[in-house]
Amino acid sequence: MSEPDNPRWLDDVGDELRREIPVRAAWRAQLLDQVASARRPSLDDEISDFPPEPLHRAPGRRIVLSPLAGIAAALTFAAVGAGAAFLVLSSRSAGGDRNIAGASASPSTTTGTAVVSSSASAERETVRFELAAPTASHVALVGSFNEWNPVATPLQRDPSTGTWIVSLRLPPGRHVYAFVVDGDVTADPAAPRAADDDFGSANSVVLVSGRTS
Amino acid sequence: MTDATLVRRVLEGDTAAFTTLVDRHAAACTRFATRMLGNREDAEDAVQEAFLRAYRSLARYEERQAFRTWLFQILVNRCRTAAVRRQRRQRMFLVDDSAVAAASVRPAVDASDLRTELRRAIDALDPEQREAFLLKHVELMSYDEMADATGVGVSALKMRVKRACDRMQWLLREVSDVGT
Repeated sequence: MSEPDNPRWLDDVGDELRREIPVRAAWRAQLLDQVASARRPSLDDEISDFPPEPLHRAPGRRIVLSPLAGIAAALTFAAVGAGAAFLVLSSRSAGGDRNIAGASASPSTTTGTAVVSSSASAERETVRFELAAPTASHVALVGSFNEWNPVATPLQRDPSTGTWIVSLRLPPGRHVYAFVVDGDVTADPAAPRAADDDFGSANSVVLVSGRTS
Repeated sequence: MTDATLVRRVLEGDTAAFTTLVDRHAAACTRFATRMLGNREDAEDAVQEAFLRAYRSLARYEERQAFRTWLFQILVNRCRTAAVRRQRRQRMFLVDDSAVAAASVRPAVDASDLRTELRRAIDALDPEQREAFLLKHVELMSYDEMADATGVGVSALKMRVKRACDRMQWLLREVSDVGT
């Protein structure tokens, strides 16, 4: 099928890729069996009963609060957050980066870390993610901040050390992430682990305080 | 009978109407997932999950949106999840221009060679470019439909499609007369 504005090669490519891939009868039968054994949908279903399939976000819990409870929770969160930020910042060494994961990278093994820079604005802080993976061909970062998109945040390799690095400006809060090393999802070996994400692989956590130094 | 009518019938208790929806859309879904994931097995798993999720959440479907776009929204997400979950090395995560260039210069003289080169070129695209290219030039969606299906803005999608086309043309420049 050609479109008026397309060059001919693009129409040829589209036609070729549009060739139908036959649906296997056994696969169809299996699918219909599973549909038959699934709970029957109805107009009476609670709309919130099933996730609307958000575009690849890590699964999380939705908490619904009344307006008053929401305000109370916000005030509590702000107070706790300010206290936590004070404690964190008071332990920071003057003028340097803060190593959230508490581990240094080793050039001989796959190790990683997430470092929050002290030269941050009040709203976001620069977090440097590092992974020592000298033999890897491609490393990317996936996390709650990029909708777990494996192509959104590639790391750059430092050829002198074999360490892969990327810096992101992240808003204050708790961010869950993992590295994708040559297609394998792996937690940051030097950072705290998040609870199981139901995806069969562990994730890591970095906390961003949001306080300027 | 329209897709929306079939959905209503399923919700009213005629579960067999869902079979018609499966038969209408399974081929396109399988084609998209196979092109996205690079192999039939992963694609069939993703499509099966997408249909089951669609069935279970059918009450959420709103008729103002085309059923196909809604289904593709689920499928696109299943394919992204399948890519992330993969625990083995995948060639589609490799972005090695020199290797791709070396692989693309072999002359192709017949249709099967062209298909091989085309598969290689599609696999060599970044996943987000491949996703946008397939939705636009294979599934023939409008940019608005693509935005609904992917959750990505129209401007970003246009850029991804353009970059995918540029890269495809470059990768296929030596193959027969495609790309000229």
